[in-house]
Parts: sequence; structure tokens; C-alpha cells
Amino acid sequence: MNDIIISNLSKTYGTGKKKVCVVKNISLTVEKGTVFGFIGPNGAGKTSTIKMLVGLSHPTSGTITIKGGSPDEQKVKQVLGFMPESPLFYQYLTGGEFLDFIATLFKIEKKKEKIKHVLTEVHLLHAQDKRIRTYSKGMLQRLGLAQAIINDPEILFLDEPLDGLDPLGRAEVKKIILSLKEQGKTIFINTHILGDVSEICDKVGVIDNGEMLAIDTPTKLSHGYRDLEDAFVHMIEVVRATKQSATATATATSF
Amino acid sequence: MLTNILAISKNTFRETIRDRILLSAFFVIIAIIVFTLFIASISLEQSTRMIIDFSVTAIYALQIFVAIFIGSMLIYKEIERKTFYLLLPKPISRIEIIIGKCLGLTLTTIAVTLLSTLVLFAVLFFQSGQLFFWPIMLSLFLSTLEAILLILISILFSGITSPILASVSTIAFFVIGHAEGVFRYIFMTTKIPALEMITKAVYYTLPNLEKFNVRNEIIHGNTLPLPTLVVVILYGITYAILLLVITQRAFKNKDY
Repeated sequence: MNDIIISNLSKTYGTGKKKVCVVKNISLTVEKGTVFGFIGPNGAGKTSTIKMLVGLSHPTSGTITIKGGSPDEQKVKQVLGFMPESPLFYQYLTGGEFLDFIATLFKIEKKKEKIKHVLTEVHLLHAQDKRIRTYSKGMLQRLGLAQAIINDPEILFLDEPLDGLDPLGRAEVKKIILSLKEQGKTIFINTHILGDVSEICDKVGVIDNGEMLAIDTPTKLSHGYRDLEDAFVHMIEVVRATKQSATATATATSF
Repeated sequence: MLTNILAISKNTFRETIRDRILLSAFFVIIAIIVFTLFIASISLEQSTRMIIDFSVTAIYALQIFVAIFIGSMLIYKEIERKTFYLLLPKPISRIEIIIGKCLGLTLTTIAVTLLSTLVLFAVLFFQSGQLFFWPIMLSLFLSTLEAILLILISILFSGITSPILASVSTIAFFVIGHAEGVFRYIFMTTKIPALEMITKAVYYTLPNLEKFNVRNEIIHGNTLPLPTLVVVILYGITYAILLLVITQRAFKNKDY
């Protein structure tokens, strides 16, 4: 059964000559209980896609179905968890107060116990009464993860969860993601750090310049290459070179 | 729905009440109210009137400051700091966020109004040994209604433009809202049809904020007749609902 179905999804910003198409007709499915890695270079369209998946923006064309509904539906939002890239919080709140606020929106019963449980899971219990503005980058990332899992979501969207973290922080966050995977959550991860993707993800989609280049398992994608990163770099270079030569040919023909 | 609105309003109240700019403005107003004691001491036979006049206007200025300048930052800050990214994917609708934000800032306005009014009453009691409770409360109640309308207008603008433009636009609304007499005079006397049409359109569509101004009346010891008061309150509520609908439409399909 597919938890996430994306069909012919496109997103265009601006109008007239300033029109920019950031996501071009992409389609993919994510099976229940699996981890999908959405990889691509900076500016490839990963964040634009994830924003549409969680209802922050709306597709120009195409459809998104999550758990059989639209991302704008309240019943779908109830089972979603989302951690944005480099999450920023209300600086005047403490970590505990912020999670209490989020738990209220999910109408979670026994909030205190739940907050304690989630903070323990992300190793942040010691800092629950500290103002968020005093948190380090790693702590902010873990608080971002805590607010994403506080409702015990069935589907998790993580945008660059390992970005900007030191090796220790990365190992910690990776461990949490793997534990969520063990719990049977469906996870959609945006990342450009490929080292950990093979270990975490069951399937990987490669996106560049808004276009989906390939979808397969990490093992199959990296077959014949040193590792996934090597395969990814090669794939992007080949596609870009092909496009460049096609553009050059078209320009020459027009003259 | 109510739980979500209350959660957002509590959060907004907590955010705005800890705002250093607001605290500075609040203490300036308190200083002005206390300073009226000095003005009263050099005003022959007019001391009480001078205290009420200066202080009620100062409190009104504080309310408008909160509505325009803090209101203009509310949604913009959420977008700029990307805290909206954490909020919108949660089971909460955009209209609940708007109402919650408006309610939170209204609570902040009421809190600073009540605190500064208490100081005013203390100053009046110290100066004359009397309390002028109801007329002042009525005037501040109506100016709070005006502030709510301005909060909604600034929230509407803060979601679609920068804080500076949002502030300027809300100030424009505020000025036009208090210039109804000018617009009426122009469209009644002008011989240019286009100008008549424009001023008439502005006069009839934009809120007439002068309706909430009874500061002159209370200084002269007059109060508002009950039917007029009811009409003013209904006018404020109707306009607030209209602004909420427009804001909801503006935010409904907005991409972040």
C-alpha cells in the first residue's frame, strides 16, 4: 500500500518572463513503512516538493495523495510530521513550552508525559526549561525532530535533517531516524548528504533542475560505481552535459 | 477550533508582551501620564481636564502603536523566521491562525491599556481625590475597538508585504479613517466627476474610525447615548468580520 502518491507534479513561481518552473512533472510513490530519500543538488527542487507535500505551498499542476487524502485536509495533517530545513523557533519560549504549544494543536492527551517521552527520545530532556535562543544548532535540529514526532505520526517528512550538524550530531539524528524506521513509520527525507542515504533509505529518487532523473534502491543506483555519491555525481553530470549539447545544437540550427 | 485559536493567541500574547519595543513604549506612556501631574499643577482650574486629556490621548497612542507597528510584524516575522513552516503543516487552519494572532494582540492591547489606565486613575485620585471611571473606560473601550480593526488591517498587510509597507499602508488607513469629514467635503463640493467618485468610494468603503473617538466628549463631561454606542459597536463588529473574511481570502491559497 502506498502512503504517498505524487502524480505529474509541477510548480511554477512568477508570471510572464519571470516565470520559473522549479518542479517539472514529477511522479513517485512511497510505500507504507519505507524510507524514501529524495536527493539532489542545491536548488534542484527538493524543498519546493516537500513544501507542497506538507501543504505549505500548492502545486501548479498534478496531484498529491497522502494516506488517501490531500495535504490540506485536517485528518491528513493529524498523521503527518514535518521537520523543515534548519528549523527556527519562537526564541522567547523554552523547548518544553514550544512542545506544549505544538501538543495543544494536535490535541494530545497527557501532554506532559508525551513531551517528556519525546524529549527523552531526542536527548533533550535536560534542556526543556531553557530558552530556545540558548540552544546549539544540534539541539535545534533535535527539537525540530521532537516537534515532528510528538503526534506519533504515520508519515514523516524531513527536510535536510542532517544538514549543518557535526559528526556527533549527525550520528545522533541518524540513530533517531533509524529508530523511527524500526517503528514502521513512512519517512520521506530530503537530503544532499549522500553518505548516510544508503544506510537509511529503502528507495532513492534523484532530482535535478526540477526533473526526476531516477528512482530505485540505493544498491541498484550505485551498481557499477564506487558508492551512491559517485553514481549520483555521474548521473547529474551526464544529464547536464546532454542538455547543454542539445541546447547548443538547437541554437546552431536556429542560426 | 477554539482550542487552536486559544493556543495561537496565548503564544502571540506571550511573544508580544515580551517585546522590548512594546515595553519601552509602555514605560514612555506611563511617564507621560505621571508627567501630567506637573502639567496639571500649572493649569489654572483645568487640572483634572488636562490630566484626562493628555493621558487618554497617550493611552490611545499606545494602542495605535501596538496595532500598527507590532501588528505589522506579526505574520511577517512568522514568514521571515520560517516559524510558519512548523505551524501550517499542523492540524490548524489558516483562519484559526489569523483569528488567534488577532486575539493575542488584542489581549496585549487590553493588558497595556488596563495597566496604563490604572496609573491614570491613581494620578487622578492623587490629584483630585475623585475617580472618573465610566467616561474614561468608555472612551478606552471604543479606542480598543478601533485598535482591533487596525490590528486586522495590519495583519492583512503583514501577510502580503514587508513590515515597513504594512505599517505605511495601515497608517494610511488610520489617517483616511479619521479624515471622513475631508472626504465628505470634497465629494460634496468638487465639480470634477472622477474626484467625486473616488472620494465617495473611499468615504463609503474604508472604515470611519472617527466613530470610535469620544475623547473630546468625555473631557467635556458628555457621554454617548446608548443607541449611538450600540450602533458604533455593531459597526466595529461588522467591519471586523469583513476584514477577517478578506484576510482569510488573502491567506487561503498563499504559498510559503
